[in-house]
Amino acid sequence: MTAVEPDAAPERDLALTVNGRRKRVRIEDRQLLVDVLRDNLGMTGTHIGCANGDCGACTVRMDGQITKSCLVLAASAEGADVTTIEGYSPRGTLDHVQQAFWDLDAFQCGFCLPGHLFAVRDLLDRDPDPGEDDIREALRGNLCRCTGYVNLVAAAGEAARREREDQSP
Amino acid sequence: MTTTPTPPHSLRTAAEPDTVPDPPPGAPDLHETDGHQPLRRDGDLLLTGRARFVDDIAPRGLMHAAILRSPHPHALIRGVDATRARERADVEVVLTGADAVDLATPLPHFFEPSIVGCRTTEFRCLATDRVRWVGEPVAAVVATSLAAAEAALDDIVVDYEPLPAVLDADEALREDAPVLFEEWGDNRLGLFPFAEGDAAAKIAAAPHVIRDELRVGRQHVAPMETRGYVAEWEPGGRLTLWASTQNPHPLRTNLATTLGVPEDRVRVVATRMGGGFGHKFNGYGEEPLVCLLSRLADAPVKWIETRKDCLLVGAREFTHRFEVGFDDDGVVLGLSDRIVGNIGCLAPWGGWSMTFPAGMTFPGPYRIADYAIESVPVVTNKAPWNGFRGYGKEQAAMALERIMDLVAEHRGIDPAEVRRRNFIPPEAFPFWTAAKHLDSGEYAAALDKALALAGYDALRERQAAALAQGRHLGVGIGFELTPEGGDFAGSFVRGFDTSTVRVHPSGAVSVLTGVTSPGTGNETSIAHLVAREFGIAVEAVGVTQGDTDSCPYGFGNFTSRSLATGGAAAVLAARELRERMADAASALLDADAADFEFRDGAVVSRTAPETSLTFAELAETIYRRGLAAPGLDQPLLEVTRIDLPHNFHHVPDDQGRFSAYPSFPYSAHVALVEVDAETGVVEVLEYSAIDDCGVVISPGFVAGQLYGAIAQGIGGALWEEVPYDEDGAPAAETFKHYLTPRAPDLPSFRLEHQHTPSPFTLLGTKGAGESGVGGAMAALLNAVNDGLRPLGVHAHRVPLTPPVVLDAIVSGGAP
Repeated sequence: MTAVEPDAAPERDLALTVNGRRKRVRIEDRQLLVDVLRDNLGMTGTHIGCANGDCGACTVRMDGQITKSCLVLAASAEGADVTTIEGYSPRGTLDHVQQAFWDLDAFQCGFCLPGHLFAVRDLLDRDPDPGEDDIREALRGNLCRCTGYVNLVAAAGEAARREREDQSP
Repeated sequence: MTTTPTPPHSLRTAAEPDTVPDPPPGAPDLHETDGHQPLRRDGDLLLTGRARFVDDIAPRGLMHAAILRSPHPHALIRGVDATRARERADVEVVLTGADAVDLATPLPHFFEPSIVGCRTTEFRCLATDRVRWVGEPVAAVVATSLAAAEAALDDIVVDYEPLPAVLDADEALREDAPVLFEEWGDNRLGLFPFAEGDAAAKIAAAPHVIRDELRVGRQHVAPMETRGYVAEWEPGGRLTLWASTQNPHPLRTNLATTLGVPEDRVRVVATRMGGGFGHKFNGYGEEPLVCLLSRLADAPVKWIETRKDCLLVGAREFTHRFEVGFDDDGVVLGLSDRIVGNIGCLAPWGGWSMTFPAGMTFPGPYRIADYAIESVPVVTNKAPWNGFRGYGKEQAAMALERIMDLVAEHRGIDPAEVRRRNFIPPEAFPFWTAAKHLDSGEYAAALDKALALAGYDALRERQAAALAQGRHLGVGIGFELTPEGGDFAGSFVRGFDTSTVRVHPSGAVSVLTGVTSPGTGNETSIAHLVAREFGIAVEAVGVTQGDTDSCPYGFGNFTSRSLATGGAAAVLAARELRERMADAASALLDADAADFEFRDGAVVSRTAPETSLTFAELAETIYRRGLAAPGLDQPLLEVTRIDLPHNFHHVPDDQGRFSAYPSFPYSAHVALVEVDAETGVVEVLEYSAIDDCGVVISPGFVAGQLYGAIAQGIGGALWEEVPYDEDGAPAAETFKHYLTPRAPDLPSFRLEHQHTPSPFTLLGTKGAGESGVGGAMAALLNAVNDGLRPLGVHAHRVPLTPPVVLDAIVSGGAP
């Protein structure tokens, strides 16, 4: 029995910045960004919930835009500046959104957190005083199966309040 | 609100003590709910992406598995040719069903059907001669990459001979239906009857009778993390399986059996779970399969369930055909419901038995002397069920609450009032039904609180005002009784659990427990309870769960029992240790042991507060001087306990009554919806609920459980369904088809609590977690029907998707 060599998948070098550090990795052209982040770069905080763009658990910030990394071919991230949940806040610190999520019990299993954190951060960067409908709309692209979104929505509002308080003299 | 019924004595066996023990002197009041709870453990790890789930486990040399699944709902396998797949250079192992027969025994059932008088059969980890559902595993490949493994599946040729398939349960019960398991003769797995009195006679004699039908579509759990397993064998033949599982110890036992490995040489590590809800009960063929593949590949092997494969797993497809007789005042005189559950194909998974509580939960919170319920599990050529939060109890809630509303509509009485007239009154507890010994309850009070919270009267006024403008608002009540903590002797679905408490020389405390957390927070609550017993900071208490090498044998996570069992066991162990430590303090400080209290990190004499040691000093002294100093004669600071049996009645009484569930939380729900009569779209506008799960240890976590349960109930009532196409394949393969609620789909829920302690459990708790699913489904079902009422139609099918609602409007709502 002779072994059949599979067609070699085309490969390339990819250079990108992840959480402020420049990385160069050898990838297959067919790899998704989420797989490169998880498997090649060890950033396993980015989760795969559906591999279809529906759930948001793989959300990262890419060149300033929150992005579902399961919908991005890694090869297209050449030169990109990517922030994952590991780099969402400086190491050893929690920002107001993270702390409010914890204080208000906004998550249970926590698997969906990348999507919800980045979505709320993105909202507050645009609108420091969002209403409940704004918050719910901002979370539309993410699924949570544990919380019914009640505490997530409340925590987003609380994070906004704390940030406004911080910024007022 | 507190009731203190007297536990019955005559119906208990000697092994079942009647009352919870008195707390030792100085112990904290376990029924005290001060509203304080620590923050969720490991929240910072989760919030910074540093928590590890099963897919984050990657031992060196890891290989990847892919599974070939049946494209047919029913077919004979005439042959499997894997030659070409085996020839691929990047493929390490190809395993077919025929290969696997000699390598693994049939799979133990999560819940062996014959225990409860049902038919049964044997299953292998891969199909051998016949497939019975689209998605059934047929062969598996291990390769150096997942892409290579998946590509190699295309090189496996299976010669199928398609057979006639049956997808509908009613059709499956016909005499000429294709039979899934020929040795059974038909497709009926079993029959669960629950009856008291003479329902038929009472219905026949009743002044008013309603007959109706309710159909519930096939639904699915959808945890955000799918299942997954990583297996690795050490050279000495020791197996480690990292698994996203709710039952690590029973899984270890089953792997030892299936693979023929001594149980002590198998380690199962239940990794941090990204949601369970029943999906991760054990019994899946992939569990031993991944271990086998790893052994054959001589390398660690990972398999992670795809979302499409996850969506194969079903639940909740029931049909109710009910009949209710009642008097002019809306008091129910007799009730029958014939329930048929389309359980898909039987499997060793833990889902088919949801048909048991679906019937057992009747007649819910209502005092109905004469009822006859039959629940019939029927196999079809759909994929099997596994557990889904609610576990069938939501079926009873939907049917009973629909019945209450139909009676109310018939008599022109407010639906809340009809419920009040039928509730079991508080003074009647403990209360027996055919298969439940209800602990305690203040049902009418909970309903009235929910109505007040919702502003029920104002909602009715708004409804009338909206109708005048041609808008259809609907107000729906749902009351749910939720049996929790079930104990099924003969299976590993047990109502007790085990915890070890260990005090270290430094004063640090470890709790090792057999219960696991799918994200509910019970590890935080258990630490909180043990810290309270010792009067030390909660941060000083570590909790280890899910690792069979370190934790005592336990049953994991199901039926909302973790705190009432594992938590109670930890409290009992901590109390025993505290007594030992008080005895040691007594010897060291020459004071009466009973005089010591444990508070603020110290062991202090009540009468002479200057007589004290820190908790850590005392612990270290016992280790350093135990058996050497006078009075220090018990230096073992480690105790393992199980929780005490509580309100289980396994032996039927003289009337044949038994109770496999010990605790009965309940909740009352009020929903406001708007039904668009043009499009059939339902919008949820407002939602209020009251829950009562007895004593609450961590109010925030209990509220979180309710919020999640309500959202799952609303999703199930309105949107979630896995339809099958005419070829017998599931049509929902992604979250674009299976519509779980998103944030803009839901309002904020108003939630308040009532506390009627269980007189039977150590902590007074009743179990929290599942309660809320059925109440929400019922409230939405009634709210939509209430909105349709001015149109003169009823909707009889769940989920109430726009086509279902429109169909009700167009067809006039005939069932």
